[in-house]
Amino acid sequence: MNRLFTQIAAVTMMNLRSLPQRLWTSLATVVAIALVTGVLLAFLAMAHGFQATVAGTGAPDVAVVVRKGSESEINSILSREQVLLMQQAPGIAKAADGKPLMSAELYVIVDGLKKSSGTKANLPLRGLGPLAGDVRRGVRISAGRMFRPGTAELVVGRSVSKQFRGFELGQKIRLASQNWVVVGEFDAGGTVFESEIWADVALLQGLFQRGSTVQTMRLRMDGPQALAGLRAYSDGDPRLKLDIKSEVDYYARQSRSIGDLILYLGWPLAIAMSFGALAGALNTMFASVDARTREIATMRAIGFRGLPAFIGTMVESLLLAAAGGIVGAIGTYLLFDGLSAATLGSNFTQVVFSLQLSSDLVLQGLILALVIGVAGGVFPAWRAARVPLLAAFKEQ
Amino acid sequence: MTFIDLIRKNLFRKKLRTILTVIAIFVAFLIFGVLATFQNALNAGVEVAGADRLITTNRINFTLPMPIAYATRTASVSGVSRVAHAEWFGGYYQETRNFLVAFAIDPQNYLDIYREYLMPPAQRETFLRDKTSILVGKAVADQYGWKVGDRLPLKSNIYRQKNGSDTWDFTIAGIVSGDDARVDTNLVMFHYAYLADTRSFGDGTTGWMILKTTDAKENARVMREVDALFANSAFETETKTEQAFNKAFAEQLGDLGFIVTAVVGAAFVTILLIVGNTMMLTVRERTGEIAVMKTIGFTTKRIFALVIGESMLLAVFGGVLGIAMAWLASLALASAMSRFGPFAFSFDTALFAFALMALLGLFTGLLPALRAMNTDVVTALGRK
Repeated sequence: MNRLFTQIAAVTMMNLRSLPQRLWTSLATVVAIALVTGVLLAFLAMAHGFQATVAGTGAPDVAVVVRKGSESEINSILSREQVLLMQQAPGIAKAADGKPLMSAELYVIVDGLKKSSGTKANLPLRGLGPLAGDVRRGVRISAGRMFRPGTAELVVGRSVSKQFRGFELGQKIRLASQNWVVVGEFDAGGTVFESEIWADVALLQGLFQRGSTVQTMRLRMDGPQALAGLRAYSDGDPRLKLDIKSEVDYYARQSRSIGDLILYLGWPLAIAMSFGALAGALNTMFASVDARTREIATMRAIGFRGLPAFIGTMVESLLLAAAGGIVGAIGTYLLFDGLSAATLGSNFTQVVFSLQLSSDLVLQGLILALVIGVAGGVFPAWRAARVPLLAAFKEQ
Repeated sequence: MTFIDLIRKNLFRKKLRTILTVIAIFVAFLIFGVLATFQNALNAGVEVAGADRLITTNRINFTLPMPIAYATRTASVSGVSRVAHAEWFGGYYQETRNFLVAFAIDPQNYLDIYREYLMPPAQRETFLRDKTSILVGKAVADQYGWKVGDRLPLKSNIYRQKNGSDTWDFTIAGIVSGDDARVDTNLVMFHYAYLADTRSFGDGTTGWMILKTTDAKENARVMREVDALFANSAFETETKTEQAFNKAFAEQLGDLGFIVTAVVGAAFVTILLIVGNTMMLTVRERTGEIAVMKTIGFTTKRIFALVIGESMLLAVFGGVLGIAMAWLASLALASAMSRFGPFAFSFDTALFAFALMALLGLFTGLLPALRAMNTDVVTALGRK
């Protein structure tokens, strides 16, 4: 047994030492596998980044109220009467002065100029009431200050000024037929809110001819368990035909469609490309075995068994694949990790997110690379293990 | 044995190696074909856009409404030959996930402007006459198996009826196809009047207008004059060519062009390496016989052609298989991908693929062919 290990170690080392003789073909395989891993990881990082941004938005103890069937805030409309009725619902947390912690909001779309393409894209402009800050925790003004109610002042999410032109602090900007000043920038912990522009709700109701209607309500509940009570209250009143979800749930649903779409594109592409890389790996490894036929046969003749030849070839293949996987992962990390991108989210507005690699994703990439390595090594290794002794005397 | 026979025989000397190389090329061209079709689907709106068609939207953003009265006023601007208006319904069938591209249109004008929508004249007549009827695009009709005459209840995620109901009942008057594979038929269209008379809010407004100009040369002036007409009102407008509008719309999704190019690029760098590497290996193994061929009178030119011919044959063989597969895949995926646009494999994609095959064959064969050409007979034979 011990001898077998010595043999395996010896043959494997011989294999690896002879690698420089096949430098270019081995490098081609490494690069091919690196590209496959890179493509897969770029897509995974995109899906992960988008999902982390959207699904990471929201608190479990905040309820989002929209009109039944509207699915998202943009399509919803709530009357003044509905807002007043909902304020009296049970389970809503109270401010120090006894007022229910709720925020009736408008959500309209305005045009922003994308820095990357120079074209107009849909940006969400949210109208907030005075208590909005108490309802939403986890948002803080990172530069400048909050807008003053009743004035044409805006605060913008960090992502907005990153991806769109003209939203820097102190800048004057024309939106919705009105001149505004950007007075603050807010940090919302990398969530969807950072892709939004916030202004005073009453001002927007006037600008967009909305009268006293709003689109959505956010309620801070006494706890996540209060949701059932809110729903029962709403269902019991025919004037309230509302959909009430926890904020976490609301955004989790939105993250699925596009996140899944990116995954459905990424995996099939990477798997298709894997077949190409596999063909290359097989060619390289078969060539490697062919080049060593005499050497392997000679070793068989002096008493080496077939297993060391098999393992030696497998190790070579796996090593090339692992190198490819690691190069691919490092390349993706350097090129794409943290890269800011924007796409159209469920509210028909831009959602800015960053591509995010994680150790879990890198592991998936390395597994794909190693699968190519195993499949690309096993047949050539089988051939190596069965090299006939006579091949030792064949002319090369 | 002819020259071509020689190339063919050479190619299949190591069957397994050739088959593997062909598979690699096949995969790269399959990826190219499918992704190019995907990109075409997304850009189809830009390509079929009429040169003499303009889109007028609310200046703030195209999702915001404008007064219906604007259509009449716009029609009087000189250089405008026809004006239609349309509105987004936010429609879905039974469940919200069965989301539909549903427009409430100004029927006569809309169909007169969008001449690319084809349907039998009788169906068109029925649609124009019956206010509660609906036209269904072929892609949608195929997806749900709807037929002319079917009753079709649709819900809206935006509107409610005055009577509190959330469902509008339609009768399918016709199935609309396109006069070109790139025309998107993933849509349904019904009478604006039906929506306007029944919805609980949104009185007197519509979504956007489509203007047909008398001549594309008039576009710039018409755009200026129409927007000037509504300047300083509560609903200012912005008019763009249909092409510019569709392009901006497609770009909202993100830089998909870059993603497609990057993936196809990665796939092709991979096969460039794999095929180039295989050809190099092949030529190295044949050093001896190339020397023999030279000795018996093959010119260096012929030797060069022999190797390039082999790499070309490889590229074309794998490439044609890949493109054929991409064509089949695009047929199979057409209905699943219809939400991105008309998913039809185009002749241009095939042409571009052939150019890629030629380049691939040339680049992967060049170095090995030069090496073969420069094989020194004495050393090569001596080494043996």
